[in-house]
Amino acid sequence: MPIENIIDTIENCRYCLMCRHIASVELVTHKETLSPHGWALVIASVKRGLLEWDTDTVDVIYSAPDHGNSRAHCATKQPLPEAIAAVRTEIVNLQLAPPVVYELDKALREFGTPFAQRKPGVVPGEGDVALFVGDEAQYLQPKTLAVVSDLLVTIGIHPVMIGLGRNNGYLASSLGLKDTAIQLANDNLAELQASGAKRLLVLSPGDYFTFSQLYEERLGIEFPSDVELVELTTLLAERLEGGEIKFNKFAQDIPYAYVDPTHAVRVPDRHDHPRQLLAAVMPGEAKELFWRRERAHPVGSTALQFTQADIAGKLTTARLEDAQSSGAKLLISDDPGTIKQLETTAGKFGLEVRGLYDLLFEQLV
Amino acid sequence: MKGDQFLTEMIRSELAEIVGPEYVSVSDSDKLVYSTDWAWMPQMWLDRGQPLHPPDFIVHPGSAQEISEIMDIANKYRIPVVPWGGGSGSQGGALPVFGGILLDLKRMNKIIAIDEKSLTVTAEAGIIISQLEWAVNEKNLTFPHYAASSNCATLGGALAPRGTGTVSTKYGKAEDMVLSMQVVLPTGEIIRTPPVPQHAAGPDWFRLFLGAEGTFGVITEATMRLDYIPEARFLRAVLFDDLTKALEAGRLMMTRRLDPFVIRLYDPASTASRVKKILGYEYTGAYMVIGFDGDPELAELQQKKALDICANLDAQDLGSEPGEKWWKHRYDFYYPPQNLKLPWMYGTTETITTYDKIENLYWAEKRAVEEGFADLGIKFIGHFSHWFHWGVMLYSRFIVEEPPEDAQEALRLHNRIWNTAMQAVIANGGMINEHHGVGLKLSRYMRKQYGEAWPMMLKLKKAIDPNGIMNPGKTGFGF
Repeated sequence: MPIENIIDTIENCRYCLMCRHIASVELVTHKETLSPHGWALVIASVKRGLLEWDTDTVDVIYSAPDHGNSRAHCATKQPLPEAIAAVRTEIVNLQLAPPVVYELDKALREFGTPFAQRKPGVVPGEGDVALFVGDEAQYLQPKTLAVVSDLLVTIGIHPVMIGLGRNNGYLASSLGLKDTAIQLANDNLAELQASGAKRLLVLSPGDYFTFSQLYEERLGIEFPSDVELVELTTLLAERLEGGEIKFNKFAQDIPYAYVDPTHAVRVPDRHDHPRQLLAAVMPGEAKELFWRRERAHPVGSTALQFTQADIAGKLTTARLEDAQSSGAKLLISDDPGTIKQLETTAGKFGLEVRGLYDLLFEQLV
Repeated sequence: MKGDQFLTEMIRSELAEIVGPEYVSVSDSDKLVYSTDWAWMPQMWLDRGQPLHPPDFIVHPGSAQEISEIMDIANKYRIPVVPWGGGSGSQGGALPVFGGILLDLKRMNKIIAIDEKSLTVTAEAGIIISQLEWAVNEKNLTFPHYAASSNCATLGGALAPRGTGTVSTKYGKAEDMVLSMQVVLPTGEIIRTPPVPQHAAGPDWFRLFLGAEGTFGVITEATMRLDYIPEARFLRAVLFDDLTKALEAGRLMMTRRLDPFVIRLYDPASTASRVKKILGYEYTGAYMVIGFDGDPELAELQQKKALDICANLDAQDLGSEPGEKWWKHRYDFYYPPQNLKLPWMYGTTETITTYDKIENLYWAEKRAVEEGFADLGIKFIGHFSHWFHWGVMLYSRFIVEEPPEDAQEALRLHNRIWNTAMQAVIANGGMINEHHGVGLKLSRYMRKQYGEAWPMMLKLKKAIDPNGIMNPGKTGFGF
């Protein structure tokens, strides 16, 4: 992001309070400082010599969730998450970031992921369609990955797997590790190019955002214009609507709710698709969380899980409390990272968590 | 508070014992962020790299009981308590100018009950208004306090300065929607006002807390009136070439009780600048948006009658599109970079008076400001947005695009412009504000505004807050 845009954004946001109503971290911490306006004001104040980068202020800046709500709800679409990522890069370069950031940098550079200590796998092959696997599906939700593979094959799609075990670059970018993010992005796009695919399927809105927007805006890397980027839920919903695939409904009617994944607000046209798919397999009426669709809040599956685990935990707990209030007993989501976070504590709330693709594959006709 | 560090730590420890260590902060970043609210003065001060007086402690209480215990500490040590909702006040009402304990109420954000029969909601005061609105929308109800600050202000923040929303002309101000409140008094007692406001059981004392901006206690809970989401909502725009006729059209709509939910009349200067910039319309004259809602047949008839009034006063009917567009983008005026923002100098000198005085007041204030500061290229714009049976509010603003760079010089100029505007307002029968509150900025005008009634206000303050701990420097108290 060009420096002048960072400055403009920070100056615009420092005294603007208009996205507080969807500010997820402020809602769980109740602290003005941990809001979009607070982050911008702290940055602006460091620039003016009123504060300095120290443990306190760096901690504040690394409390921003980077899940897109502030920008999605801004009438003038101020790219505050992008500006904060750029400021974090400055902090990283000053060697003032939290120690865990440098540990993550090492892991991402060496293994492409913080979730395993082995290098990304490569499945050679070419085809019209590629599936970006990433590291969360590979290491956190391998069952989801297996089901997705079977589901796609069953409906006649044989994708080339790319990015097996490699982060999409969002985590590094969000932490301010721009060079590492560029390396990961280039590696992913090189595999995409090698596959010859003209359509790239992704498993989450986070992946969709990263490929379609983050690469260009934050890293200056263009996603290939001749490749169509499609979220898997979108593809399946289109096929369902076109009558190309059918599902049986489950017999047992369990009150259920779809949990919009982290970053869902960054892909505004997606919200109906997973709900349409669920309506095809679930017999009862869906419950809805209060924080849903365009105002969906994240679980802790952002960089916060590494830098601010307490806040990440609060975000996940807030989603579970929201779900509990809705009357749901079963929570369903599609993003592997979101599912993993929900699973960690859902039991304490008497809630069961299932993957959307698991359910769809079970009921595929 | 510049006292001994051991004393400071002792107080911090006592506060932490009440609310928990997680909910007391003395960090530099928190102190800076909570040292400014949405007023121009502190924002400009920080913008020029000048530090503000910070709070000594930022506390996030979780209950009225905790606030009561905090009051005990504040009285014991004689330190100020400054209630903080969204920090979106434009008059410096939440500035901790004497340090002390800043009480951020946002942790108290629960909805306690929604009564679908009586159409009321009871909620803690720290809930963000838009979140409250979303919650009642789930039951096909609305909390019709559509303030521009709804996304950031709290319920308590709407009540404390007697706030107003976009549809107040039909649905009333926040103070008209409140049935009852829980309040923690400066001396620590937790009280509840009567369950309904319309009764004859003595004086209407519960209104003491509305407009007091925290100087008489902390509003911790309120029961508010709701409405059904309107079945239909019709917006229309008309253009007058004459402000006199436009004001008369609004007066006729109100005095004939056509019940519009909005009449937004922009003066020619605002029409040419703000309306053009935000909505993209290039109109010459006074642009007026009128809206009617509720039962579609009734609303349509009301709109027809209103348009007849406008036509008789030579207005041009612009159709529904410029009205609908305004409604859709009505808050865009407040988003950067479209809002009034630094490095500009600006102030909203909003006021209210009766219909017989409003136009004279408008011209008097405009002349005083524009002629008094012509050398600065000052701009004076305004719109008339909250209408009553007897009068209307003028949302007047001044803008200086190239103010002095020096912070002190800029502040002095800002005060001079405000003085000029307020003198014109008071001399022409206006109130010093209608809904932004008094805060710090207007505090010095309270004696003049109230005249012989002011000592009674001081006696009330002394009786309710004997140690003067509550939000000193605001609403004329605590100097």
